[in-house]
Amino acid sequence: MKKLLALLLAVAMVFSMAACNSSSNTPTPSEAPTEGGSDTKVAVFWYAFSDAYLSTVRSALDADLEAAGIEYQDFDGNNNQGTQLEQVQTAVTNGFNVLVVNLVTSGSADAAQQIISAAGDVPVVFFNRAVEGDGEEGTVLGNNANVAFIGTDAPEAGHMQGKMIGDFLVANYDATDLNGDGAISYAMFMGDASNVEAIYRTQFGVEDANAVLTENGKPELVYFNAANTDKYQLDPNGAWSNAAANDFMNTNLAEYSEANGNMIELVIANNDDMALGAIAALQSAGYNLGDGKCVKIPVFGVDATQAAQDAIKADTMTGTVKQDADGMAQAICTAVSAIAEGATVADAAAKVVSSGDIFTMAEGFTNKVFVAYAPFTE
Amino acid sequence: MNYFQRKREEYLALDAKDRRRYVTDALLNNALYILMAIFIIFTAVVNKNFLSPSSIVNIITLAAVSLPMALGIGGCIVLTGTDLSAGRVFGLAAGISAALLQNRAASKLIFENLPKTSGGWIILVLLLVMCAGAVIGMVNGFFVSKFSLHPFIVTLATQLITYGIILMFFQINGNGGGPISNIAQEFKDAVAGPAIKIAAWNVSIPWYVIFAILLVILMWFIWNKTRFGKNMFAIGSNSEAAKVSGVNVFLTTVLVHTLAGAMYGFAGFVEAARLGSVTAATGLNNESDAIAACVIGGVSFVGGTGNIGGIVLGVFVLRIIFVALNMLGINPNLQYIIKGAIILSAVSLDMRKYLVRK
Repeated sequence: MKKLLALLLAVAMVFSMAACNSSSNTPTPSEAPTEGGSDTKVAVFWYAFSDAYLSTVRSALDADLEAAGIEYQDFDGNNNQGTQLEQVQTAVTNGFNVLVVNLVTSGSADAAQQIISAAGDVPVVFFNRAVEGDGEEGTVLGNNANVAFIGTDAPEAGHMQGKMIGDFLVANYDATDLNGDGAISYAMFMGDASNVEAIYRTQFGVEDANAVLTENGKPELVYFNAANTDKYQLDPNGAWSNAAANDFMNTNLAEYSEANGNMIELVIANNDDMALGAIAALQSAGYNLGDGKCVKIPVFGVDATQAAQDAIKADTMTGTVKQDADGMAQAICTAVSAIAEGATVADAAAKVVSSGDIFTMAEGFTNKVFVAYAPFTE
Repeated sequence: MNYFQRKREEYLALDAKDRRRYVTDALLNNALYILMAIFIIFTAVVNKNFLSPSSIVNIITLAAVSLPMALGIGGCIVLTGTDLSAGRVFGLAAGISAALLQNRAASKLIFENLPKTSGGWIILVLLLVMCAGAVIGMVNGFFVSKFSLHPFIVTLATQLITYGIILMFFQINGNGGGPISNIAQEFKDAVAGPAIKIAAWNVSIPWYVIFAILLVILMWFIWNKTRFGKNMFAIGSNSEAAKVSGVNVFLTTVLVHTLAGAMYGFAGFVEAARLGSVTAATGLNNESDAIAACVIGGVSFVGGTGNIGGIVLGVFVLRIIFVALNMLGINPNLQYIIKGAIILSAVSLDMRKYLVRK
């Protein structure tokens, strides 16, 4: 009898969790207004809930959609394109009529096309992660009327980061060149080999910095480990993770130090999470403690997450590139509201562009909106 | 006298205390089914879309995706083992399938000089990736039986080795670890294209559902009607006893793992066509769902118990949970907790009948 009671309790627990959650957080379809008012149901698919920057966008977007009175539901793709496709299929059968998709396989036109086929007649707004790879511009967005993209111009963050690094080094060259050999040795942390943003950031973060240095008569950056011909260290799980950068940096610091005269003098990371991982490793080796006494190795990231902004304020990190989370959320919410009111996807995209200075329409498109980046150093 | 009448007389013959235990046992032994029935009814009441025809077809389609891997891994569990390499073998097979079946007109190709995509070439690639999976499975089986190593350790090692191979494979011809996409339309149509269209409900059932049904029939035949299948269960129950009674334990173990590997290869092949783009991370941790499905379906880690019907049921249970939690609009953070709790309670309640029997 005890066991039966335990079973009933377990069942009751699971369902009460389900019930209280569905009533308080996201209204379920049966409660949705069917006559009068908006019957728009928005499904938002995130590539991974664990991503720091996108979590900022998520809380901003949830708030925006709630304020706009639009019914929505968030889905976690858990960094698996298969899971995401299954979630899209399920959401379509569940009657969602606007899909907002943060594609897992960034830059894959085919993966995007699979999502669009699964969506059928339902409009799809892609955001943040690119839907077209290098040299495939227009293959998805040009051929599907019912699809829009809101994101950043993939190479822009890399260019901005590179220029920021170049400018910083020109101003602080001798202080940064710890061993006084005239060249700056740098470490580069790459988030994901299959992500176009990561590829551009890895490339332009260094190239553009070199361009600024050469202009000012300084030698180009030198990768700290001559044996590594990739000139970057890659998160093996493609997760842009703090932990991966931390592991690499700890390992690097075991071999490269001021005592050996080969200390890494500059750290460039594809995102803030990885930058912070590297900083944690530097701190355990006695650098970047933010106390004004120890040596500070300049560390650069991208995203301007809250944690990175705090680190820059605490003087443990040097610079990042701000990806406007609020602006991104606002753009998505504007587009979704316009679609809910019956606008075509192209009109919705045009409305987003006219709603703020930080939004621009990509050249040659009517449905590809860029959100501008901005440098962030203090 | 039919089954129910017999049960009724059995019940009437008991005294009050035994009757109570009889009911409790009956409830607990069928707890998994009762739980699922309550769960399905609850979801259907809250959200009518859950039992709509398109949603049911969706659940079947999703189940067909994960069936081949579960069918393969089931054999390893019957032998009291497991297979942690499944997800990576699946990923490798998906990568190879994608690379060999790219659209020949595309600008970026992994292999330049391949024949045009035709029915024959697609079947050849399928056989090739199944062989690739089978080879890794054979290595697993060889080390497990030759050196009496626990499959957990052996497959953990081959999981890492396979991942290394995947990473190298994704760097072929300047691909630099990027996703392999531009997959030929003929390939997608042959595997993920509609096999049956039901116009009245506006749904279509893809070919891989048909393939999954055929695989279930094939595996049922292998498990129940062949000497190999019977030997597998004999070894799982008691490998010493099996050896004494003349079963070739070495060969059977190797073959079970080889068959499992071929199944992962098949699953990866389907995945490439279904997703249209494969990355090095494809298949990561997929084995955990397959193992969970088997265990939910009554394939016990104790060894020697389980059947194909149970595995199919387990796969459906997991997929129904997946769809239902999404349709109930439950916060994704809580979904992981609820999924874990359901698996844990379902499995402990189900294991109870085996414990009592032993």
